[in-house]
Amino acid sequence: MSLKNDDNQDQPGMNSRMLIKRLLKLAWKYRRGCLKVVALQVVLLTLGMLGLGLSGVGVDYVRYQLALKSPDAVAGVIAPKLPRWPFGIVPPDDWSPMIVVGLISAVILILAGIRTLLNISYAICMNDLVQGKIVVDLRGQVFRKMQKLSFRFFDANASGTIINRVTGDVQAVRSFVDGVVIQSLIVAISLAIYLCYMIRIHGQLTLACLATTPLLWYATVRFSRLVRPAYERNRELFDRQIMVLSENVQGVNVVKGFARQEDEIGKFDRAVDAVRDQKRSIFKRICNYQPLIGFITQVNLIVLMGYGGFLVVNYERASSVEAASLVGLSIGQFLVFAGLLQQFSGQVANLSSVADSMQQSLTCSRRVFEVIDAPVEIQNSPNSVRIQRLRGEVAFDNVSFAYHASDPVLENLSFRVEPGQCVAVLGTTGSGKSSLLGLVPRFYDVTGGRLLIDGHDVKDINLEDLRRGIGIVFQESFLFSNTIRENIAFGCPAATDEDVVKAAKIAAAHDFIMEMQKGYDTVLRENGSNLSGGQRQRLAIARAVLLEPSILLLDDPTASVDSQTEGEIMEAIENAMESRTTFIVAHRLSTLRKADMVIVLRDGKIAQAGTHAELMKSQGLYQYAAKMQGADEESLRLLNITGIT
Amino acid sequence: MTLKTRIIAYSHQEEREAEKRPLSFRLISRLFSFARPYRRQRFILIMLVIFRAIQLPCLAWAMGAIIGGPVTRMDTRGILLGTAGYGLLAFITQLVFRYRVLVAQNLGENVVADVRKNMFRHIQCLPMSFYHKTRLGRIISRFTSDTESVRQGVQDVLFVTMVQTGQMLIAAFFMIWYDKVLFLVVVAMAPMLWALNRYFHSRLSRVYRASQESFSRVTAALVESVNGIRVTQGYVREDLNADIFQELVTDHSRYNMDAARVAGTFIPLLELKSQLFVALILFIGGWRVMHGFSSVESLYQFLLMAGNFFAPIQGIGNQYNVALSAMAGAERVFNLMDTSPEWSDPPDAVAVSDCMGEVEFENVTFGYNPQKPVLHDINFVASPGQTVALVGHTGSGKSSIINLIAKFYLPTQGRLLIDGRDIRGINSESLHRKMGIVLQENFLFTGTVLDNIRVGKPDATREDVVRVAKELDCLDLIASLSDGFNTVVGEKGSGISLGQRQLICITRAMLANPRLLIMDEATSSVDTMTEARIQKAIERLLTNRTSFVVAHRLSTIRHADVVLVLEDGRIVETGTHEDLLKKGRLYADLYREFIRSAEA
Repeated sequence: MSLKNDDNQDQPGMNSRMLIKRLLKLAWKYRRGCLKVVALQVVLLTLGMLGLGLSGVGVDYVRYQLALKSPDAVAGVIAPKLPRWPFGIVPPDDWSPMIVVGLISAVILILAGIRTLLNISYAICMNDLVQGKIVVDLRGQVFRKMQKLSFRFFDANASGTIINRVTGDVQAVRSFVDGVVIQSLIVAISLAIYLCYMIRIHGQLTLACLATTPLLWYATVRFSRLVRPAYERNRELFDRQIMVLSENVQGVNVVKGFARQEDEIGKFDRAVDAVRDQKRSIFKRICNYQPLIGFITQVNLIVLMGYGGFLVVNYERASSVEAASLVGLSIGQFLVFAGLLQQFSGQVANLSSVADSMQQSLTCSRRVFEVIDAPVEIQNSPNSVRIQRLRGEVAFDNVSFAYHASDPVLENLSFRVEPGQCVAVLGTTGSGKSSLLGLVPRFYDVTGGRLLIDGHDVKDINLEDLRRGIGIVFQESFLFSNTIRENIAFGCPAATDEDVVKAAKIAAAHDFIMEMQKGYDTVLRENGSNLSGGQRQRLAIARAVLLEPSILLLDDPTASVDSQTEGEIMEAIENAMESRTTFIVAHRLSTLRKADMVIVLRDGKIAQAGTHAELMKSQGLYQYAAKMQGADEESLRLLNITGIT
Repeated sequence: MTLKTRIIAYSHQEEREAEKRPLSFRLISRLFSFARPYRRQRFILIMLVIFRAIQLPCLAWAMGAIIGGPVTRMDTRGILLGTAGYGLLAFITQLVFRYRVLVAQNLGENVVADVRKNMFRHIQCLPMSFYHKTRLGRIISRFTSDTESVRQGVQDVLFVTMVQTGQMLIAAFFMIWYDKVLFLVVVAMAPMLWALNRYFHSRLSRVYRASQESFSRVTAALVESVNGIRVTQGYVREDLNADIFQELVTDHSRYNMDAARVAGTFIPLLELKSQLFVALILFIGGWRVMHGFSSVESLYQFLLMAGNFFAPIQGIGNQYNVALSAMAGAERVFNLMDTSPEWSDPPDAVAVSDCMGEVEFENVTFGYNPQKPVLHDINFVASPGQTVALVGHTGSGKSSIINLIAKFYLPTQGRLLIDGRDIRGINSESLHRKMGIVLQENFLFTGTVLDNIRVGKPDATREDVVRVAKELDCLDLIASLSDGFNTVVGEKGSGISLGQRQLICITRAMLANPRLLIMDEATSSVDTMTEARIQKAIERLLTNRTSFVVAHRLSTIRHADVVLVLEDGRIVETGTHEDLLKKGRLYADLYREFIRSAEA
């Protein structure tokens, strides 16, 4: 199986229907929170409409009081009309107009106060659901799974995209819950409520005003379809621009050393121009939409003013309230209508953001589910054996291994190591040394043959027991930006201070640690950059030794240090190797001479095997390399050293 | 935290850069100088902005006037005419809006592109010491977030403020026109809105920052978990780390909740404020209308116009904050542009065309920090074609000598002569064209292996590259990469080892066919078996070039013409390998040490 194909958009692992089903299931899991949020929003909506309606009533009432005194009314040209009181609650006749107006204002204020409180709790509920529960759960889940995925996954995916699955992608997945499910429920309900309310005020006017809605919907959807991919593309171009910059700075030696400044300036200018030109083309393509959408919204208002104004005139001319509400609408209602129309357009615009969230959460959820669903390639077999302490006998039985089936890395290796023995592995770059070491703790599984430890196939040994029994030092050891103590105790956080010090002493690290101001509590910088290469490796050795492993794997631990430091590290390694089965990738004669067995790899096969003395006798790769790195006889003679070869 | 251990320790080692800076005329005028090449665009924009400031309140007024006029008068013809007028105004407003947005964005984009290009061009001229002192992250944020705040300064602050101030003034004018007393109500609300805005803005920025910080803890732990996955799995910490991470994420969500609470209070309070306004207008305005102090039309006008007056209070407040961060960004951008190079080639620097390759150090003293010299009084001559080996313990000054020859730094005292000419007077670029440099840590650019080798000679053909690789006896090693010469560097899974990277770098240097060759631990990461193979080829390539070699495997330098033995920044021994062994002093000691580590 390949996890890399997510970069390849046309090869979806899951189709959209399945994804949506799965996302809905996710939303269902949080149904209580979702329901609460939707219910709150419906209450808010209702209260909002009530407030709006009341302000209309207020305006109408003021007009009524005014009309009573107007000469037209006195002359009987128009009949002043009382507003339609909400829920038929009519204020008693003996209340003065100011009390009624005051009361209406007060109720509007009280409603607004309640809405404020509800709005606050809505925001909190929503956040609690989304950021407090869904995101936390998803992030934890993805991270936990990621920790167990095999090295192949990490080989095949750049760390940036893996990190993004836990950060950005998870957010996009949860946006299916709040941005799609909850939002579309809210939009649907509120549109229905607005529509009912508006139709109740005046059906034809509603229809006339909303005639433009499909156009609005179309424009918004087109707009977001156009914008999103264009800006994503721009983001990529911009990332490229920053990459040119950061490589230029990181590779300043090369840039200056090869006099490449002018070319680099050209490269950067092109990257900047690419971003600018693409942005300008985006602006050009989309600049019509925003004003268009704005204008469509205003067309609604224009219709309202024309047709609505006409209806208001009808209302005023009618003889009674009942007749009036059949043929027209009051000024107050007119104002309410204007307010509703605005909110309606807002909700239609929300619809397009629902479509947007949907798109995005589908793409991202594919990446997230891919991690959650990825089979853990390397795990305990159902009847794995528990071994408290490995003896350290390792046997390769016709082992083959390949990262990709077509491209074998190791072929038919067979050899046997007794407990406590030391095996040195050497070979040219790319001959398969590191892969060989990676098979022992099952970082990768053999693709042919068997690898036996203490007589058991490694696949049958409990994975935790196996790995705890093995200490590893990599070519470039990764240290966490944590205290030295916690780095050494990484494999066993419960270790006592004595254990840590003891391990540090074995690894010849104690002295330099104590020389630091904060000793074992010194916090390492990222990648341990406040330590020298030799110090980093010695900490890594201490980390390995602390576990008291039966098997020690050392992958060319002195590759990137100078000869002085190399001596320090080798001293630590010699201490650490005591009575453990050791696999060491090494080139130094000093190490090779001590090994019980030397394996020379070439193109994934064992080219030579035996002790140093044996291999020096036969003409071959080994002898050639050994002679090459040692001092020549002439130099030895000059130094008066004899008899070492 | 209840778990006993952590994935990483969180520290605040990085000092934070100021987010804001007071307005300064000097910065503003310099910022606007970047818009000077686009002064036509800038002029058009100002015109559009003035139009818009007038149009917005006029729209609200037109609506109120229609309702208060023809509608109230029951004048159907008037309604139609008014509506048509309103429609026309609305159309023109949107048309102006289209150009206002387009022109502003184009202006901003042009300025930003120029700023970035200028900065990049400038840092190319800065000498190595700048790169030595400045962290990459800092440089990148000059090009990203700082430039972005400059953009907002240029493209938004002035123009948005103009629109909003104009809109506010005109709205105020209309309201005063309709009812002075009622306008007092509006004015009374303004400070309330302003205070609300200020209070929440500072609280919001505080909670958002706390939330960002907690998120950066989450990502830092995440990044290290991904990069250290091999260690984690090798030491069986998967479950423990997952538990720790879960706690971190939960902790982060608490900060998020705080932020949500503050933001979730602010917006409803704003809404409450506008409802309070409606209620007040209804009540006070209603009273005034009923008592004949005011007209119903003014009620409509106030309800419709209020937004035009209140929105700018918030808007201008926000623009002010944007302006402050634009100042901070601009200052940092300008600081970078103003960093004067510690040295640069003099105007009369000579371009070397035919380089013989003679290198002479004449009483050279040098320190990265001039107060702390790392090289003292270095004197030696390398004749054309010679191979000079530099030997000494870590920190003895080998790499500093190399940095001087490469003209990455200049001597603090004394002279360095190339073909008898002071290196200060030589055009750096022409010198570098004659030079091939391979260092212990070599940088490869994203791109194919072939592209990376061609850096040494951009016009080289694939055949040239293959020929050089063959001469170096490493053709098969490069060809064995997953995609041969087309393998993409930097992509995960391309599987280029440290040793292979060095081989690529050696090929890159050789392709340039340099007169001067510098090899600082050039084969340190190449395994001994491969090194043994290519060593012979390298020796052959060294002939006829002046070369400087640093290597800790002393066996690789015994054919050098001259060995310089350094100790504490001084040359303590000079001679051939044989002479020095015979002398039996420091070099012989070093050699014995080397033999011991290799064979003992």
